[in-house]
Amino acid sequence: MLAVLSVEIRKLNRSLAALLAVAAPTLIAVFVFFNMLRGKQPAPWDMWMTSAMGIWAFFMLPMSVTALTALVAHMEHGPRSWDHLRALPVARWKIYAGKAACVLALVAAMSAAVLGLTWAAVELAAAIKPQLRPTGPFELAGYARTLAMMFAAALLLIAVQLWTALRFASFVPGLAVGIGGTFFAVVATSAKQGVVLPWQMPVNMLATEAWRVNTALGLGAGLGAVALVLLVLHLSRREVL
Amino acid sequence: MTAPAIETQGLTRRFGRRMAVDAVSMVVPERAVYGFLGRNGAGKTTTLKMLLGLIRPDAGTARVGGVDVGADRMGAARKVGALLEAHGFYGNLSGRENLDLTRTLLGLPKSEIDRVLEVVEMTADAGRRVAGYSLGMRQRLGLARAMLGAPPVLILDEPTNGLDPDGIADMRRFLRSLPERTGATVLLSSHLLGEIEQTATHVGILSQGRLVLEGALARLKAELAPEIAFAVDDAARGAALATARGFEVATADAGLVARLKPGEDAQTAAAALNRALVEADVAVFSIGARPRSLEGIYRDVSSPSSAAQQPVQPQPEFA
Repeated sequence: MLAVLSVEIRKLNRSLAALLAVAAPTLIAVFVFFNMLRGKQPAPWDMWMTSAMGIWAFFMLPMSVTALTALVAHMEHGPRSWDHLRALPVARWKIYAGKAACVLALVAAMSAAVLGLTWAAVELAAAIKPQLRPTGPFELAGYARTLAMMFAAALLLIAVQLWTALRFASFVPGLAVGIGGTFFAVVATSAKQGVVLPWQMPVNMLATEAWRVNTALGLGAGLGAVALVLLVLHLSRREVL
Repeated sequence: MTAPAIETQGLTRRFGRRMAVDAVSMVVPERAVYGFLGRNGAGKTTTLKMLLGLIRPDAGTARVGGVDVGADRMGAARKVGALLEAHGFYGNLSGRENLDLTRTLLGLPKSEIDRVLEVVEMTADAGRRVAGYSLGMRQRLGLARAMLGAPPVLILDEPTNGLDPDGIADMRRFLRSLPERTGATVLLSSHLLGEIEQTATHVGILSQGRLVLEGALARLKAELAPEIAFAVDDAARGAALATARGFEVATADAGLVARLKPGEDAQTAAAALNRALVEADVAVFSIGARPRSLEGIYRDVSSPSSAAQQPVQPQPEFA
């Protein structure tokens, strides 16, 4: 399994998927940086971090997962390398499990980058305008915990998007599902039913109502883990014609 | 007596109502270069995919390197290296990096990459990104990847696609020499008759999903209805005469080419027809027996009306 993981990571070298993984959290940090420079009064650390995590969970995470899974899958669909991979003396479930682990690792790294790059953006803005240096404590453990919960709640979203991207050679089904899902997640923000939408589950980690947090986390992480296992089993047994 | 490198029994696969591969029983002897011929859509790729365990047969069995593909796909996969029509290279990586991915999955030492690059003469270009490779370079890189770990069986789907004339000649020489150099058996699929004729030692012809002919190419050429060419002054009259005497006339343009029946003695038949032509005042300038070309054999057995459109049984002399 280590060999498969190593291969999946090396495939990302100079790839668009790797570029996206860097670009998405960077965009959030850039936004926070310029937003902070526009201010007149200092604001607490918590405001900047919650703002960054909100953008991430509400919009950037679902859209990044949509694009990332499409790009990672297209690395195989594009050059039609499934035949080569599936003809090798390697258990097929390992090939798909490696692919899923690679996407999960990328999303986890992007989540960590949101934290690190936002901190760096705020520090840089504060260095340029010292009067705007944020007030209050920088609660690293708390922010990391929230981002980790967002990641866990996004498992179902990742599984749905990854299955769609790997199952269909065309970009279209994956993008349609991702864009449609994000759209409904946005318009159903305040609706109770929205909490069961995979694309809305991560942002519910910022909700003040405990039931929302628990429901989204339980469904997202629990069903997501099951869905990832089913994805690996289904794709490894399926014929690629 | 050694086991065949590849052997199928009644291999069958349908796609919906279309029969793609129909009860194919083929035998590829060890250390042979086996040309797998057929038109586009004849079922070659489907057969190769079943040999590689990529798709499941509806019926029948396939053994590669003595291992049943259906029962032990991984075991069979360890015996085979494949160059498929779609190369499946990652354009963002270099040729060497692409090979290194497969090497890692196969658990081979790093030195294997240098070895196969040297074999296909790609060492100098191995550091460049595959996105900038020509089709011919991708083809050679694909061959290098198929040879990683020196598998005893190589399955190559249209390996000369995209190569320039020099590249094609090099590839032919290379493929012909493989069994002797490495002990490998090569199954080579193509729709190019000339390519197979110049490369293969054995041939299997697939038509509409059925294996209609199989055997050692030299033997097939010698045994399958040889032809006798007569240079005559009146080809039309000569052809009519030959037809009346029960010969099948292949061509009658500049001369007359009479096709013998399988098993008929060429000298006796030539003498009889010569006598008939001379007695009918058709001047005969020269007579020459010639072996059948692969193209002639192919046309005979792959035409829908051909009597040879019956699935062949494995030839015992291969075993």
